[in-house]
Amino acid sequence: GVSGPPLERTITLANATKVGLICTLDKNSPLKSPQVTWKRGNETISHNSKAENSWSIQLTISDSSKMGSYTCILKGQEEISAVFHLQVPKIEAREKPIITYERDVAVLLCTSPYTPMAWTWYMTSGSKQIAINDTFETDKYAIDRVSVNDTCLKIFKLTKADAGVYWCEAAFQLGKSKGKVELKVLSFTAPLKPFLAIVVEVVIFVTTIVLYELYSKRKGKR
Amino acid sequence: MQAKDSNPPDGGYGWVVVVSAFMVMGLTVAVLKTFGLFFVEIQQHFDGLASTTSWITSVTIAIFHLGAPVASSLCVRYTHRAVVITGGLLAFSGMALGFFGLSMIWMYVTTGFLQGLGISFSWTPAISIVSHYFSKKRALANAIASAGECAFAFTFGPFFQWLISQYGWKGALLITGGIQLNICACGVLMRPLTSSCLPKASHSKTEIPPGNGASRTDKEDKSPIIHKTFNWMLLRRPEFVLYTIFGILAAMSFFVPPLFLVPLSHSLGIDESWAASLLSILAVMDFAGRLLCGWYVNLRVTKTIHLLAMTITLISTSLMLLPLANNYLSLALFTGFYGFFFGTTVAVHITVLADIVGMPEFDSALGLFMLIRSTGGFVGPPLAGLIVDVAGDYRAGFYMAGATLILSAGFLVTLDQLQQRKERGSQTIIKSEKSTLPYPSLHLLKHQ
Repeated sequence: GVSGPPLERTITLANATKVGLICTLDKNSPLKSPQVTWKRGNETISHNSKAENSWSIQLTISDSSKMGSYTCILKGQEEISAVFHLQVPKIEAREKPIITYERDVAVLLCTSPYTPMAWTWYMTSGSKQIAINDTFETDKYAIDRVSVNDTCLKIFKLTKADAGVYWCEAAFQLGKSKGKVELKVLSFTAPLKPFLAIVVEVVIFVTTIVLYELYSKRKGKR
Repeated sequence: MQAKDSNPPDGGYGWVVVVSAFMVMGLTVAVLKTFGLFFVEIQQHFDGLASTTSWITSVTIAIFHLGAPVASSLCVRYTHRAVVITGGLLAFSGMALGFFGLSMIWMYVTTGFLQGLGISFSWTPAISIVSHYFSKKRALANAIASAGECAFAFTFGPFFQWLISQYGWKGALLITGGIQLNICACGVLMRPLTSSCLPKASHSKTEIPPGNGASRTDKEDKSPIIHKTFNWMLLRRPEFVLYTIFGILAAMSFFVPPLFLVPLSHSLGIDESWAASLLSILAVMDFAGRLLCGWYVNLRVTKTIHLLAMTITLISTSLMLLPLANNYLSLALFTGFYGFFFGTTVAVHITVLADIVGMPEFDSALGLFMLIRSTGGFVGPPLAGLIVDVAGDYRAGFYMAGATLILSAGFLVTLDQLQQRKERGSQTIIKSEKSTLPYPSLHLLKHQ
């Protein structure tokens, strides 16, 4: 490695596991016999194995407190570092807002690349996030697990008040991860206006053509 | 004594019909092609699998093909105009009712069945009436009309995306239905030719009742032609049979390249947005190919069937070479060639059908041809998918498509040989033949 932007790598972890992080120095590097430290934030971790040009640490990630960014710093004439980001999986949800209509049903989907232990849905009210659970009206909300990695929130009898941002939170052994879904609720009249405009245009067009044809036929007969 | 449309206008109001057919092509086939944009939305809303959702399009395509012979026989009985207007109303109702989106089955019936029927009833007569209105400039007129499909498909892509982002998929379906209502407006413009549908049979396939026939023959100077509402006798003609076999093989390969182009580009490591642009290149070159071919056929330098055989060979060459591409530029180049020659083929193949069967039978021939050809369209993609799975590479699909096309070209050549042999046979009988037309066969029968 040479000087430049620090090297980074993201490692996605969902369940408790053992992880080994290795920093290897390129043979052609001008840096010789550097001093190596492994750090997490300000905390130094003792590295337990060393090979000819690589230094590594073994970590047992048992809960969320062990997640975060681990850096290996090689100090010599120059200082080189590489960062490993240990993160929970990112939740995939629809980026564009879901557009629905009043009195219709909304279906909000979230997917996780790894199987979470549990899902929770939140609705935003002002700046607060309220969890949707059994205390809510059961004929309004329904949460289904479509497959082991998916969750689906169905909202019935939509009103304009239901519009807004919803969060789906997946709980893993190693932490929680959220996905955001935006819901928009339109009234039936919204698409109706352009629709009726087009229908009127067609009717006018057809009538004009028919009248013109009748007119030219009459003209031809005379 | 070949009874034909007496003096088709070959211009004048015919161009109005061409423009109207252009619009109908766009409002039918282009909507079908871009329906994929609704796919993910509908699938997510009904919690469905990709396969169950894709049945919507399968139903539409199936009904489109099955409805074509029905539409063409209705054309013979009632006017083209009436059938197109009916088609427009059906397509509109399919989309508009789809707005209610009650269940997946509801979507199959509305956006699947009704839409498919509507598209079929609009497309078939539109294609047919253009051929009725023109004789000398028929190829050009057909080419311009069919170019509507590409032009609209190109604009509907981003337009539907915008509609869905504004109104959601339900609202977008409703508005699309309204837009399809314009098919009716185009249909009203399709004035029936007074001579085209000659004395209509009031009973299908049997004799004309004397009263009907007599009154009609009073108006016409020529011998009354019995228009059967559905002419199975066409299948007895070897030329027609050969052409339909060509159609089946060609259809088997036509749907494959657009299907596998994007996955192939992904496997080559091309970015998603660049891959989508390949389909746009296809559409633009398709459009150019159709117009250019129409103009070229009009010059009457080559016999249409020879031209068709050439274009088919050129398509299969581009398809066989396409797998050699290893980066975006070469892939785009070969896609462009494929699109262009695909356009030329589509532009000319309907004209060749008209040349083979002649105008009186054209309507039923078109319907029958579409029906039989559809089997190729249904077998093609799954067969190609199977080959790709077995070979483990998307390139195999392109090789298969290329090979089927070469096979179909073989049938075209056989057909041409058969026709030439017949011409030579009939020419030896008619000894005093003064005609020095460069291509003796079909045009001899058509003109004069």
